[in-house]
Amino acid sequence: MSLLKHTSYPRQCTALLLVLLLFAWLSLFTWSIIPISGIQALMALIAPDDDSIAHHIVLDIRLPRVLIAALVGACLAVSGAIMQSLTQNPLASPSVLGVNAGAALGMAAVSTVTPWLGFFGTSTAAILGGAIAWGIVMLLGAAWRGGNEHGRLVLAGVAVSALCAALMKAMIILHEDQASAVLTWLAGSVAGASWHQWQSFWPLASVSLLGAFFMSPTLNLLNLGDDNARSLGVKLGWARVICSLIVLILVGSALSIAGAIAFIGLLVPHMSKALVGQDNRKILPLTAIMGAVLVVMADALSRAIIYPMETPVGAIVALIGAPFFIYMVRTRTS
Amino acid sequence: MKPMALSFLLFTMVLILVALNLSFGAVSLSLNDIISGFTPSSEFYFTIHEYRLPRTLLAVLVGGMMALSGALVQGVIRNPLASPDILGVSHGAGLAAVVLMTLFPHVSVYWLPWAALCGGLLAALLLWLLCGSHSSAIKLAITGIALATLYSSLVDFLMLTQPLEINNALLWLTGSLWGRGWDQVVMILPWLSLVPVAFWLAKRMNLVQLGDDVATSLGVSIPVTRLKVLAIAVGMTAACVSICGPIGFLGLVAPHLARRLVGGRHQILLPCAIVVGMTLLLLADLVARTIDPPIELPAGIMTAIIGAPYFLWLLLRTK
Repeated sequence: MSLLKHTSYPRQCTALLLVLLLFAWLSLFTWSIIPISGIQALMALIAPDDDSIAHHIVLDIRLPRVLIAALVGACLAVSGAIMQSLTQNPLASPSVLGVNAGAALGMAAVSTVTPWLGFFGTSTAAILGGAIAWGIVMLLGAAWRGGNEHGRLVLAGVAVSALCAALMKAMIILHEDQASAVLTWLAGSVAGASWHQWQSFWPLASVSLLGAFFMSPTLNLLNLGDDNARSLGVKLGWARVICSLIVLILVGSALSIAGAIAFIGLLVPHMSKALVGQDNRKILPLTAIMGAVLVVMADALSRAIIYPMETPVGAIVALIGAPFFIYMVRTRTS
Repeated sequence: MKPMALSFLLFTMVLILVALNLSFGAVSLSLNDIISGFTPSSEFYFTIHEYRLPRTLLAVLVGGMMALSGALVQGVIRNPLASPDILGVSHGAGLAAVVLMTLFPHVSVYWLPWAALCGGLLAALLLWLLCGSHSSAIKLAITGIALATLYSSLVDFLMLTQPLEINNALLWLTGSLWGRGWDQVVMILPWLSLVPVAFWLAKRMNLVQLGDDVATSLGVSIPVTRLKVLAIAVGMTAACVSICGPIGFLGLVAPHLARRLVGGRHQILLPCAIVVGMTLLLLADLVARTIDPPIELPAGIMTAIIGAPYFLWLLLRTK
């Protein structure tokens, strides 16, 4: 890390991209029931052979999984970075402020209580549910803007999360017999990834990621505080609404694919801030790459840890993220 | 309202709820059926005696003890947002119990409360090490919640890597009275001996409320009292958690309601909190069992649906 800190920004990005490619490649062939070699994995990408089982595994199972893990990581990490600028709160992230739980509640509501709303699609439901939770937290937060009230907003987010989680569990238990599948989904997993999922996921996610990069100069101005931002010509209301929408779409689409992976949005933005400082134009792209690295890495670990069974990737991420959350609480709340 | 009338009212409510808990469920029973269910010859003997009676008793005992431990914690650290579950003590106790169950499956269940006690004490110690004795209400609560998140993600991890029965998993994640019987009643009985000790400390807790200086000049050692009271609270929480998992928000809400009813004098507040806690858990379990029988919701879900909005409201008022 310290080596990375003193190199130029393009080099940092290139280095991390290389790390991402390395982990993606490792994740294509390691811990497979049918042994696959690294060279076979590469060959499957370059010159696919229809008769080879190994090539089929790499192309049809592993590749979509790696791609989805990377994009989910990027989406969640970037949404955390945006939320931290938006709320002026270093502890903000989708899971801490209740957006994850709200989105999960929305999905549960559509798939259990009101299946006739099915045409809405789960990701729309996730976005709507997340929006409601985020709205409640922000309304409460508006009363506490300014001053050193970081902890209070987080507690509000935790309470909204607890409420949404309770309602969601109630809906699921009343409707589902497969509670263990729900438990796995709640912990967040990319094990069921398929090309079909990838096709419904990447357009929305990449458009909103680009939107986030486009908004990064505005986020920089928001970091200066409300008054300064306004006097520099930022329309505060619009900026907040657009940034919130981007956050909701990022979180909603990631959640509807991979379940509730927590703490990525808290952890990764702080790692990239440690590397490049406070400029969001640099932070957001780097955050996206690092988020992708982290989730791809955690997904590989999740297959290794009780091989040949799988652990949901979210459980692994939580084990890394929760101690970091405690550390942040200790250092960043007065 | 006068304390006498109030206590009469609360006791009637508990009795009515006990009767409702005995009569509703997958099969509804009339009052006569319930009374005849206590005799072994009745056709309802199994339902009442083996299933609903121990469960209702547990709801009474656990609800009362959780509320009491919440009242004790709020009393000595003078923090309206505190309670064993917000401070992470419940989840620490739950984690220890789950570790014992998954990693040492052959150990007798009678060790569960002791494992939970160790976990709860360690969680309290860790919180104290992280926060010290002079941090703000908000910081203490948020550190506790962060620790609780860590413990519950560890529980998640153990659940997912060492699959238990799914109902067990939900029990340890949200708190439930599902499938609890006479064995668990016997397990919790010895821990009831902590209740009189708590009452005995009530007078000193009133003095602690006056502030450190006043209490010290009146001859009460703050650190000693605090330590004793917190140890009792952790012990009761551990006993409850080892039986029905970390039931959230009960220890937070019940003492607050009691304080609104009877004020802050601990000699009255503690018993009132106990009765309110009983009422809440009986109600939560009743709703959770009867909302769509024979499917059961964990009682912890119901307490969270009541408790989380209440916590938000408290948060708005806390300075």
